[in-house]
Amino acid sequence: MKIKRILMLALIFALIPANHAFAHKVIVFAWVEQGYIHTESSFGSKSKAKDCPIIVVDENGRVIHKGRTDSKGNYSFKIPEKVESDLIVNLDAGIGHKAQWRIPKQELIKEHTTEDLKVAMKEKNALEKGPSAFQIIGGIAIIFLLAFGATVLKKRKKS
Amino acid sequence: MHISEGVLSGPVLASGAVLALAGTAIGLKKIDYDHIVHVSILASAFFVASLIHVNIGPSSVHLILNGIVGLLLGFAAIPAILTALLLQSVLFQYGGLTALGVNVVVMAFPAVLVHYLFRPLLGKSPTLTFVGGFLAGMVSIMLSSLLLGLALWFTDKNFFETSLTIIIAHIPVMIIEGIVTGFCVSFLLKVYPEIIPVKK
Repeated sequence: MKIKRILMLALIFALIPANHAFAHKVIVFAWVEQGYIHTESSFGSKSKAKDCPIIVVDENGRVIHKGRTDSKGNYSFKIPEKVESDLIVNLDAGIGHKAQWRIPKQELIKEHTTEDLKVAMKEKNALEKGPSAFQIIGGIAIIFLLAFGATVLKKRKKS
Repeated sequence: MHISEGVLSGPVLASGAVLALAGTAIGLKKIDYDHIVHVSILASAFFVASLIHVNIGPSSVHLILNGIVGLLLGFAAIPAILTALLLQSVLFQYGGLTALGVNVVVMAFPAVLVHYLFRPLLGKSPTLTFVGGFLAGMVSIMLSSLLLGLALWFTDKNFFETSLTIIIAHIPVMIIEGIVTGFCVSFLLKVYPEIIPVKK
């Protein structure tokens, strides 16, 4: 009987897909390099937003550029001419998943060094990073604390 | 399944918030405070489930587990799911904070419905218990997909196409969640029947 129970539990865990990753926030990251605007879209580090529309607008909402991400979630285009404002890169990853990234106007005209690129990549990696064990355990702890608080309140009300 | 910031219009967000608030108020009244640890465990399971994801086409779907939460908690599933979704939004950036109400409606309301539809099957026989769990897991995702389609309809204006895309994208999740929920309730009924008080 005990073995049957353990087997059942093992089956439950076996059914959970193995490729679990810390992903599902929607991210679009954009940076400027050698006259081009590069974008990378993902649901986290391991899951790329493939074949999704990218719409670039200015501060007034005027569409400046349109494109689609490739199979790696990337899309690059030449810096548009005569842009007088910041650019906002919008990603539509389907079924209610959207994200945007703002490129300041001065970034478009600035000469970018290798150091700038390194900083941008660091920022991108930090964004794509999944939740830490601390965040997961912290979240569970908050749930239990809230339940405990609610019970105490309820008991006080009763008494 | 989590709707991001800036997707829905103001009236849709407001309607979702009002419905979620009303549901949470009912749920808080119906919670069995002597067994609140069950609510916490299931809210935690829901909170963590979204970290398990499956890549489907251009998008990415993840486990939700609203079926088992609803099946075991009934109306208490609404505050449980609200708390988990709020924490997912703040800690993991899953879904927008302004869309929290709509996300609660999309994921928690079907959970309550499956409780009333399939809970009577639990404990009748091992097969019926598994079938009840399977259907609860599957139907809750299907209903959530429809509600998500409905919420997006106001912006996409193409309810059938949007809903169909969402349902098709979630078919693997429906099957996985059906099986997981079926096995979980069968297992729990054997080892910890207190979590599923069966009406004889």
